[in-house]
Parts: sequence; structure tokens; C-alpha cells
Amino acid sequence: MSSIKPQNDKPKYWRSLDQLEGTPEFEQFLKREFPEAVEEAPTGLPRRRWMQLMGASLALATGAAGCRYPEEEVVGFRYPEEEIAPFSRRPEGRIPGKPEKFATTLTVAGQVCPVVATSYDGRPIKIDGNQMHSLVFGADTYAQAMLLPLYDPDRSQHPVFRDGQDLSRNWDEFTVWWKEESKKLEGGNSSKLAILHETNSSPSVLAQMNEVARKFPQAKWYSYDSISGNTTAGTEMAFGKKLRPLLNLESADIIVDISSDLLGSHATQGKNNSEFAKRRTPENGPMNRLYVVESRFSPTGTSADHRLAVAASQMASFVAELEAKIDAALEAGETKEAPTEKVDILVTAMVNDLITHKGKSVVVGGETLDVETQVRIWRINNKLENLGKTVTFVEEPQLARDNAGSIQDLVAELNTGNVHTLIVLGGNPIYDAPVDTDFAAAFDKTRAQIFFGEYENETSKLSTWHLPASHGLEQWGDAIAYDGSYCVTQPLLDPIFKSKDPIQFLSILAGTPITETLEAVKQTVATTFTSSASEAGWMKVLHDGFIADSAAEAVSVSISDSLNLGDVSTTAWRGGLENAFELIFHPGSATYDGRYANNGWLQELPEPITKVTWDNVVTLSPKTAKEIGVGQGEFLAITANGKTIEVPAYIQPGQAHGTLAVGLGYGRKMAGHVGGFEENGVDPVGVDVGPLRTSQTMLLATEVEAKGTGKQFTLATTQDHFAIDLLGMREIGRRVGELVREGTLEEYETHPDFAKHVVHHPPLTSLWEDQEWMKESYDGHAWGMSIDLSKCTGCNACTIACQSENNVPIVGKEAVSVGREMHWIRVDRYFSGDMEDPKAVTQPVTCQQCETAPCESVCPVAATVHTNEGLNDMVYNRCIGTRYCGNNCPYKVRRFNYLDWRASDDRFDAANKELAKLIFNPEVTVRNRGVMEKCTYCVQRIQNTKIEARAERRAIGANEIKVACQEACSSQAIEFGDLNNPESNVAKAHANQRAYAMLAELNTKPRTRYLARITNPHPWLAPEVPDHGHHGPGEEGHGEHGDDHSHDHAEGEHAEHKEEAKEEKP
Amino acid sequence: MDRFLFPKWVNKFVPLAIGVALVGAAYGGTVLFVTSSPEILNRGYRPEQPVPFSHKLHAGRLKMDCRYCHNTVEKSSHAAVPPTATCGNCHSGADASGATPYASVRATSVALAPVRESLATGESIDWTRVHNLPDFVFFNHSAHVTRGVSCVECHGRVDKMDVVQVVEPISMSWCLECHRNPDSSIRPVDEVTNLEWGTDMSEEEKRVLGKQLSEELNIHPSTNCSTCHR
Repeated sequence: MSSIKPQNDKPKYWRSLDQLEGTPEFEQFLKREFPEAVEEAPTGLPRRRWMQLMGASLALATGAAGCRYPEEEVVGFRYPEEEIAPFSRRPEGRIPGKPEKFATTLTVAGQVCPVVATSYDGRPIKIDGNQMHSLVFGADTYAQAMLLPLYDPDRSQHPVFRDGQDLSRNWDEFTVWWKEESKKLEGGNSSKLAILHETNSSPSVLAQMNEVARKFPQAKWYSYDSISGNTTAGTEMAFGKKLRPLLNLESADIIVDISSDLLGSHATQGKNNSEFAKRRTPENGPMNRLYVVESRFSPTGTSADHRLAVAASQMASFVAELEAKIDAALEAGETKEAPTEKVDILVTAMVNDLITHKGKSVVVGGETLDVETQVRIWRINNKLENLGKTVTFVEEPQLARDNAGSIQDLVAELNTGNVHTLIVLGGNPIYDAPVDTDFAAAFDKTRAQIFFGEYENETSKLSTWHLPASHGLEQWGDAIAYDGSYCVTQPLLDPIFKSKDPIQFLSILAGTPITETLEAVKQTVATTFTSSASEAGWMKVLHDGFIADSAAEAVSVSISDSLNLGDVSTTAWRGGLENAFELIFHPGSATYDGRYANNGWLQELPEPITKVTWDNVVTLSPKTAKEIGVGQGEFLAITANGKTIEVPAYIQPGQAHGTLAVGLGYGRKMAGHVGGFEENGVDPVGVDVGPLRTSQTMLLATEVEAKGTGKQFTLATTQDHFAIDLLGMREIGRRVGELVREGTLEEYETHPDFAKHVVHHPPLTSLWEDQEWMKESYDGHAWGMSIDLSKCTGCNACTIACQSENNVPIVGKEAVSVGREMHWIRVDRYFSGDMEDPKAVTQPVTCQQCETAPCESVCPVAATVHTNEGLNDMVYNRCIGTRYCGNNCPYKVRRFNYLDWRASDDRFDAANKELAKLIFNPEVTVRNRGVMEKCTYCVQRIQNTKIEARAERRAIGANEIKVACQEACSSQAIEFGDLNNPESNVAKAHANQRAYAMLAELNTKPRTRYLARITNPHPWLAPEVPDHGHHGPGEEGHGEHGDDHSHDHAEGEHAEHKEEAKEEKP
Repeated sequence: MDRFLFPKWVNKFVPLAIGVALVGAAYGGTVLFVTSSPEILNRGYRPEQPVPFSHKLHAGRLKMDCRYCHNTVEKSSHAAVPPTATCGNCHSGADASGATPYASVRATSVALAPVRESLATGESIDWTRVHNLPDFVFFNHSAHVTRGVSCVECHGRVDKMDVVQVVEPISMSWCLECHRNPDSSIRPVDEVTNLEWGTDMSEEEKRVLGKQLSEELNIHPSTNCSTCHR
């Protein structure tokens, strides 16, 4: 008997269009655990690139300190002789072999991130968020990855003087040169000096800037960021003040996100995620409802209850209609009857929800929206009485010199020929300045250029001097966080290279060099925060990483009465873009604006929605793709402002029609050996879209033309890898609903345990359970994990945390494209529903630590065995690489290290290889080539906590052990602990009604439980709760959601289902 | 030219050659097996140190506690070789003004020159590691000494050694012997650094006391792989 009806041919859930259409590529991934020619190293041209990639972060991240002894060091058969070099004087409190944590602050991707850095015997090995800070929950993905550049041999190692040729210099030589130069710039001549900097967040740096300005009173100051928004301009117009909004999502019942990506790239995403997640668990009080209106699919879009795709250039029109409707509804009351048209229902439902939740709702506009639209959104919030309740405001700190000009002003000034000396503090304007300014030509008109930055880049290569900047973990400093709190940066180590921090550099420019930056920072503290200036106060600041209670006071705002926002059509957005195209420039998920292009961890991290690694793509909706006639991975020729570039297309369901979106920061030609370095023959990663960006179209270009080129490009996406399939392609869509279970709030209220009844299976009996040795009691600890799908946004923070904690290597694009990525925790992303308007759901998957693990029974050398605490141990030094375990794992969470990266890397000398080793976490074995590896619930943390607790003769706290992915998760979707301890969060989560085990019907008894995702749709738009007890086997999978709930409770029905299940599974 | 053929009389040597090959292989195999065993490789290893520090003198005759120098042994996985400053507590040389502290012991000894140099320059003394484990083994000193496993169980009577040498095989099977039957290796926690302790007791007495202590401290050494391999 077959229960599969024809309508099941089209999967209800799908991961990619390849899958939906059943392309041969996908079929291959499905059939083979290790697809295509995995035994060989890549051949031909890719191999060249492969070898190049082996440097920098790759050498860092793979077995440079392998678990086997390097042969040349072996003396006979004995271990090589090792030296122990103790301190001459050990610092007080330092215990060799015990990691220490320091609170510090990094400025990452334009945001101030309070972090905690872990130092092992003096070398930083991990960066986490500073949970004491009120804006930080979990850890930011970029901030975590900032560890890699610290040990990157590509980082600038000494000052460089370029005078026809590159000359390595030291700082003294620069100081001498600068003395000469500054003589020429004295007094009235100081107008010949121009200084360009990025947005500054540090008061001490501002103090030094003022010192420089004192020495060169007529010097001109300019500020430029490649990526910047309109939030401040919006508040200035709406409220007459430069303000920063702070959201209070926990008290918002209704959230409308208008392309602000609240849970993804938003300025306060950590706090947002945490507060949003608190309202997403139905058992802990009423749920909130999230409407997302956006142009391209964002992580917030995946979490939305309702999502509407509107073209970016028509967002103003949408907001205008929203305001008009709210105005009308505030007069006339809520609409009782649901309209008939789908978009109308959604908008009317949104308006109804908003006006019935006055003071308990929030409409958030993205910073990329134009100023008028932002003002309109503040006006809506004002009408809904949300200001001061769900959104408060703090004043923007004044951290730039007055009258700092824009890059356009700078170019104009340069073109007059009046500027002799140009100082560039960070950034990379040659690469990312608006193309219409022709910055490079203007740059050339100066006599001397000084570039100060961490890496050599396009700008430094054209400058007279390149001065290396220290890494954030190598310097003293300070910064004002988004909420106005004063944060301190403290060094974990002396600069590895001959670099200086910005405060030191500016003080050299000012002619009064500071040797101890610490004193400059203390000076700032003493002048601003007298209470923290005492020794005890200062120690507390260093301990906390910020000054408690230094956050800015909320200011009360009143919306300006004299707003004239002009007439915006309220209907234009409904028509869509028709035949026109628009192009959104968004921060590259790996590169931000290009500054992280050389960071291998970020490059290999799959983009949350497209799952593309090592490239940028132009995303477009399936309908748009069809109109243009472009296929997946085909180069799309995009023309804007008279220039054309070719970018590989990625067909992204759910994107607004006519909207093209492309990531910035790729196509770097002088980033380094990972991100592209033309001088050394390393091709750029991705495509530089800079040529299309003009001063007017930095974030969004309209009047764009696009056409296919017919040229195909290989994209390294991870979404089809490690495909879990039970009965093959025909079944997969139906089955995904069993892997990732979701339901509506109504459904949950009717049947709280619906998730447990998605799959019915015969009683599970084991062939071996009678055996004495199979009877594990787990009466000590029983480690377990729970992952709440209601909270997960698929942001990838867990993947990076795991990579850093567990010495997980990166493998490069070619390897990823054949399915050899090494991430121990992956985030699966599934779409469901209509291809043009899909819903999305994400699910982190890592080793489930099955109690009856299928991998264990097939290992011929007992390299993977079970512990009496329920962990599925992986003994790397026993593994001989048969890969049987990987084949037998139904969750596809085992990873195999195919290539030995260290053997062939000859570009870096021994000293740099030694440097690269420093990043490793010494608590975790560095795996060699040919070894299977996987998650073991951070067993090193479990063991160390156990040892510590037992030495102190105490029990392990209920939630004392935190695994790396759990720590990084800002929405606290992941819980870990002892299932035998009823007090632990994980035991409570496993007892939750929503808990289910993935593929439990295979009798694997996984230790990881997922909590089903609950959505809270508006009643008008909610799918019907499945009618129970009437369906036969053929009717499974009805309704929009398609998750085949068969949660009937009648005994007879149960039995019937078991029968069916038996027949289904041969 | 004709093909070269072995003359017939060679044939009678064939069984002999096979025999020699077999015996040779067996002999070679045995030698390889024996010489590569931890018993042979580890035991008796006694490298020379930059300073001829005598444990026999300090820990034996002077009865200094192990933890005077190895002071992190109860807190960390490492039993940390002490910083030079610890040596300097007794063996500091002349200070900048040329005055030698009154209590300084052997302030001018040639053998202690590296200590004085390290104190003066702040550079490390590069000691040679005696007891070594592969990088994939994670041994934790604090986990053992805080549960009543004495130094002597692994390191032997260091207080009788002028030059420290390895006395136990330090192999996995040797570790597991104790992890499976810990009783006779457990002693009162405050006696862990007393290497003399128990020399006047019989094995049986030690075992009975160890069993009692194990029960009191709830000691169940784990034999899970991840206990030592992570």
C-alpha cells in the first residue's frame, strides 16, 4: 500500500529551488554522503586557488599543531624533548593552564561591542559577549570572529614607506619624517592638511583629535563610512534632536518591522533577540506578534508571523498607506470584516492589531529608509502612544569634531590642489568611496598620504606611508556604546607586530607622543566619571568592562508639529515595480563593508538565508528571474549609473519582485591571502559592486537594468549538503515537517503536545536491549540539550562560537562546494508554502548524542563510543578514517577532514606558522587529516567543571556548564545541562509539551530535544487547525503548513496509524 | 645470451632462506614491539636540566613540601614548574649594589648561575620536560591530588632522586589499571605530598583504608574516553 498521493510530489517544505525542481545536482547530493570525487584533491585551476587559500586563516584553523608528533622532532621512538619555560616572576594570581577572562570592548562593523575575551596562558583564544552589559546577550557573530585577525600573518607588521618602492620602516623613522612634514604644515600652512576618519566612538580618541587640531588649527576634518543609515537624521527631523532609539520589545505585543532587520543586522540586535524571544514561548505568558515588511529575506523575516515583500524604493509609499489606514482606524475603530484580497487582509490585520495595542506595540523603521519615511514612522508610533513606552530615546554622544565634512567635501578640497598632506585614519576610501567622486584621482593630487589601519589595503597601497594599527585586543582605549554607556578596552597582550593604537598614533601626529595609552584613558575617566577615577573604582571598571550606570538617560521627546513630509502616493507600492528594477546594496554577511574580507571564519560562514559561502550574489525573486531569463548561479549583468558589472544570480524566494540585492565588501584586490590579493595571484573573493554606487545611490539604486549573460558560476552553498532523507526525493518535503515541527498558537492551545504526535511509529524495540552491556543506567549525570525553534533566528552565532571553541578548520570554497565543510553545528533553513511568498524556518543541527547511536555500532576500531553520562565520545587518536560512522549517522553531523593543510603551505615562514598556532584552544585536540570529528557537547567544558566542582566538594550547579553555542545564542534558544537534575533548564525544556526528538522513530534516543516552533498568526490569516480524527493515510499533509499533524488521541486510531507506519517502512 | 637461471644447487637453500626470513621477521617484530612499548621508552628517562636541581636534597633532606614549588597542583591541570622567583627566595645572588641578602643560600654557586641570571634578566630558565604525555591526552593534576592520589603514585620517590627520572610507564593501560581499581592508590588528602606515607603499611591495609576513603569522598574514577581525550 502506498500512502503517497500525487499531490505529495511537490514538497511542502524545501530547502532550495534545486530541491524544489529536483535538479541533477541536488539528486547527487541526496544520493551520496560524500559527493563527487571526494578521494582526490581538487585538480586543475581550482587547485591553484586551493593552495593559495591555505595561508593565513586556513593555516590558522587547521591541524598545524596536530595530535601526532611532527616526524622530524621524534627522537627514536620517544616523544620529542619538550621545554618548559616558567616565568621568571609569575604575575600575581596567574595559574598556568587556567584560562582567564577579561572584559574589554571591540568596535566591530560600526558597532561598539562589549566583549569578554578568554586568555589562555597569555594568548586570547575566544571572544564572547560581555553579558553584564545591558545591550549584550549572547555574542555578535562579527565580534566573535575578530579573534582570527589577531593571529593573521597578513596583518600589517611594520610601517611601510612607499617612494617608488615599498620600504620597510620603523616608527622612529616615521616620527622623524612627520616632524619634517609638520614643520611645513605649521601655522597658516595647516590648512594644507586634511584628515579623513571613520565614525568615531571613543572619547579618548576625540581628545587626541582635538590635540591634533590644536597643533594644526586650520586642518580640515572629514568623516566617511561606506555603510551608514539615516536614523539620526530621522530623529533630528522628527524630534529636533539627534537621538538613538532604544527598543523595549519585551513590552511590545505587536511589532511591525519595516526593513529594519530587528533580529539580524540591527544596532541592538542582541537585546532585541533576547527580549523578542521571551515573548515567543506560549507556556510563559502571552506571545507577541511580528509583522515584517521587507524587500529581501532577512533573519527577522524567518521569525515573522506575517511577512510582506515590498520593494525598497516603494517602502515610503507603504508607510504612507499604513499611516493613512491607522489614522482612519483611530477615528473609526478597528475593521471587523476581513477584506478579501490577501495583501489587504494582512495590512488591515496589522492596522487592527496596532490600534488595539496602543502603547504596547512598536513600528520600527530600518536605518536605510529615507528620512521622511522614518519621520512618518515616528509619527505613527506617536499616534499609537508608543513613544516612551516601547521605544525610548537617548541622545547621540558628540564624538566627532564639529563641522567634519563629507567625502564629497574632501574630494572637492583635494581637487583644488590645496591639500598637501592627507591622513586617512582607517577605512578604505579608494575601494569604497562613491564612484562619482573619483576619489582615487583626487587622492593622487596630494603630495603625501598617510594611511593608518590594521591591514594593507587598496588605500594603503597608494599612500606614502602605511602605519599599522593594533588589534582591538592589543590596545587600551574606550568607546561609547549605543546606549551611551562608557566602555573600556584593555589589552590582553602586547602588540604582536610593530603597531600602535589610534590614541598613540594621533598623539604622534599632535607632536606629543603618548607612550602609555592607559594614562590617556584614565585621564578621560577622571574628567568625565570622577567616581571611577579612584583605584578601586578603576579596578571595577576594568573588571566590568564598562562604567555601571553610565548609560545615557532616556530623554522625553515630542514630535515636531511643523512636519511637512510632502505627498507620497499611498497606492504605488501595491502595483510593485512592474518592469523596473531596483538594486539594494547591503552589508556583506561575511565582509560587512569589505573590512573583514580576509577573515576565513566569516567567509566560510553560510549567509543565513541563501547559505552561500565565499561569494556575494545578487538575489532576486523567482518571478523576477523568470522575467529576466536568468537561472540560478548564472552571471547577471547589472547596469546602473552607466556602469555594468556581472554578479552571479541567486534566486531567493520571498524577495520583492523587481528588487535585486547584492552584498558589499567583496571583490577586494588587496585584502590578503584569503580575501583576494592580486599581487600574489590570489583572486578576489566575490565581485566588487562599488562601481555601481554613487553618492546618491549608496544604499539603493533605482533605474537599474539587468540581463542574463548565460555564463554559469559555481556557488558554494551549504543548504543541500548533508541532506537527511528517509525515502528519497518524493518524500522529503513531507518528511521535513517531521524534522522541524511547527504549529500556530491556536493549535498549541488545542493540543499542547501536538509536536509529539507528528510521527507515529510502531513500538520501538532494540535488537540488543536484552544484552547486559547495553543497559546503561545514566544514574550519574545525563547530559542533554534542548533547542527552542520558537526562538532560533538562524543567525549563525552558534556556528562561529563552536568554530572558535573547538578548533574547527575552514576549508575554502572548492571544498565547501563538494560538501566538505567542517562546521560542527549547522543551521538548516527550510522554506514552506508558496514559492513567491514562502515562510521560512531554521533549525540548528549538531550531534544529537544518541543513546543508541548508529555511528558507534559500525566503527571497526571503537573510535566512537558511549560514556556512562550519555555522551557519544569521539576518540580522534583512534580514528582510522573509514567514514562508516558518517554514513550511518541519520542526522549527518559528522565531519571528515580530507586534506592536510599544513603540509603544502609554503608561503608563510616558520615564524608565521608558529603565530597561527596560537589561536587554538588547548583544551581541545587539534584533529589531523583523515579523522572523523563532531560535536561532543563541549566535553572539555563538562570535564573541567566536573573537576573543579569535585575539588571543591560541591555538586555541579543546575545550569553551571554552558556550552559554546549556548553562550553565543542571544535568544537563549539553546539550553544544556544534566537531565537528571530536575532543576536544570534543560530538564525543564525536555519536559515541555513542545519537546520532540528528531527522527525518534529510528530508535536512536537522541539526547537533544527540539521544542516545536509556535507562531502567532492573526486569526484572519491563521491556517485552520487540522481537523482531527477524520483523515486517512492518504489525506496527510493538508493545510498551508503541511506538517502532517496526526495528533489524534483515540486509541483505535493510534493502532491504525501504527499499522500504516509499519507498512510504510519496509 | 641465455636467460640467467639460478643453478639447481641453490634450491636446497630456499627452505633455509625462508626460515631465516621468518625468524628475522619474528625477531625484528619482537624488538620493535618491545622497544616501542612505553615501558621501555618512558621508564628511566632522565634528561639533564639547566640547573642541577636535586629533589633528593630539597624534598628529601630538607623536607620541603612539594607544593612549596609546585603550588598550582591543586588548582590547575598543570603542576607548574615554579617561576625563578621561587628559587630566588633562598638563592638570590647579589643585588645591584653588590649586597647579598643575609639569608641567601649558596649565593655564588656556579650551578645556580642560571637562576641568578634569570632573576636579573627576567628571562625564563628552559627546563626539560621529564614526564610527557601526547597532546591528545588531557591529564589534570588537581583532579588527582585533591582526591587523595599522591604524587608518588605516578612520579615515584622523587624525594630520593638527585636527577628526576621516569619510574612508571605512563601508558594508557597503566592509567586505566588505577582508574579501574583505585582503592590502593587513595590516601588521606592531607598526606598526598608525604611521599613516606604508607611505607610502614601492608598493601592490604592500604587497600582497606583506600576503599574507605573512596567511599567517603565518593570516588569513582571514570573510564570514559572523554575523561582524558577531548
